[in-house]
Amino acid sequence: MTEQKPKRIQPGVCIPWEEKRKEFAEIMGDEKIVQRIWEQVDLLPYLYIWAVLIQF
Amino acid sequence: MSEEMEKLYQERLKRYVTAMRNEKPDRIPIRPFAAEFAAKYAGYTNQEVTHDMDLAFAAIRKCAADFNWDATVGNMVYVWTGLVDGFGTKYYTIPGIDTPADSAFQYVEPPDEEGAFMKENEYDELIRDPTGFLANVWIPRVSRYVPPIGEPTTYENNLAWLRSGMAMLTYYQGFGEQNARLRAESGTVSAIAGCLKAPFDILADKLRGYKLLCVDIHRQPEKVLAACEALRPHMMFNALAGADPEKNVPISIWLHRGCVPFLSPDAFEKFHWPTLKQMIEEIWSQGWQILFYAEGNWNGNLKYIAELPERSIIFQVDRTDIFAAHKEFGHKFCLSGGIPNDLLAFGTPDEVRSCCKKVIDGVAKDGGYIMDAGAIFQDDAKVENVKAMTDFTVEYGVY
Repeated sequence: MTEQKPKRIQPGVCIPWEEKRKEFAEIMGDEKIVQRIWEQVDLLPYLYIWAVLIQF
Repeated sequence: MSEEMEKLYQERLKRYVTAMRNEKPDRIPIRPFAAEFAAKYAGYTNQEVTHDMDLAFAAIRKCAADFNWDATVGNMVYVWTGLVDGFGTKYYTIPGIDTPADSAFQYVEPPDEEGAFMKENEYDELIRDPTGFLANVWIPRVSRYVPPIGEPTTYENNLAWLRSGMAMLTYYQGFGEQNARLRAESGTVSAIAGCLKAPFDILADKLRGYKLLCVDIHRQPEKVLAACEALRPHMMFNALAGADPEKNVPISIWLHRGCVPFLSPDAFEKFHWPTLKQMIEEIWSQGWQILFYAEGNWNGNLKYIAELPERSIIFQVDRTDIFAAHKEFGHKFCLSGGIPNDLLAFGTPDEVRSCCKKVIDGVAKDGGYIMDAGAIFQDDAKVENVKAMTDFTVEYGVY
């Protein structure tokens, strides 16, 4: 079996949507808006963590 | 905002941007980076401006109002106590707490492997997921309040994250208001937007420590290179997140140990330069200049810097030979600085004026030069010398 390398998490992301999505058995409404807002708010701790490293 | 002040702001912005594009404005722009000097000038202690950001901002506004500066930074005493003490940051000493009230904040680097914030066998973990490593491993090591993953969460732990996160929001909002006030009240341009660091410098400063990284480049060089490459996209992302949406003012990159005696030219070429060059080229390709803030003496690295695309950087001259830099790449890049900090601290106004004349005559006649001290200046700079540097340039620096 070919060993697969784990996909690298991109800049701007702490918990990728693919991971977050697993919390929900079913999304009854518009999944795209759930994803968009998750990615917006997930960016905030990302920026915080890297600001501590880079600027403080 | 008065029409008169906005007119002054637009004149200064045009002057500053023209020079940064390596062209000839109406006059040489003046763009000092005043840290604890501003505190002294405004009558505050270093403790006061480090602890109270409102006083730090007020000090800069007073300098901007009294000196004829075209651009400056809203606050160069950037390590605000509210944030670093709120998070329990271990690697700073703070004036008024750890050191006397009239000292400046100090960075305390990991001294040995035991104290290192990243261990020698953790390169793979960093490379695999830099953000996860920072949050789960690095932050618990650098914060007094955050326990390692797996240990019980505490009230202090939860408050530390919340407190420092909200403190950071407050601080950045403060900067936004400060920039608006500088514009409205004194027509002063905010000189930079966005912060970049070289991946190699991040490894040295915040993760392995400089001494240990010097060992790593011999014992595990491929890991060091891979770590730099893993950090690079994150450095870029964060720099661009804070960049000027108008693309007028540059992103700043703070460089303090890429040169001799800290790093040999060979080590610079192999470990420091590749990711640094790539970041600058990519950011420039998207339309932002970089203020290449080269602290120290970069004479040995000028040939590398000359490889960068035309106009991609503004090269800050600290201890570098400004005339050699001008000869090497003055046709490509704007230069700034070149007035030694020790001259501002220990010289006389006449000596400062003489130095300014020499620099202006030597590198500024075709434009592409910005007047400044060699580096960020503290409270040892004499007020009369900073005034001499400013006033002389206003008079002599007209094209």
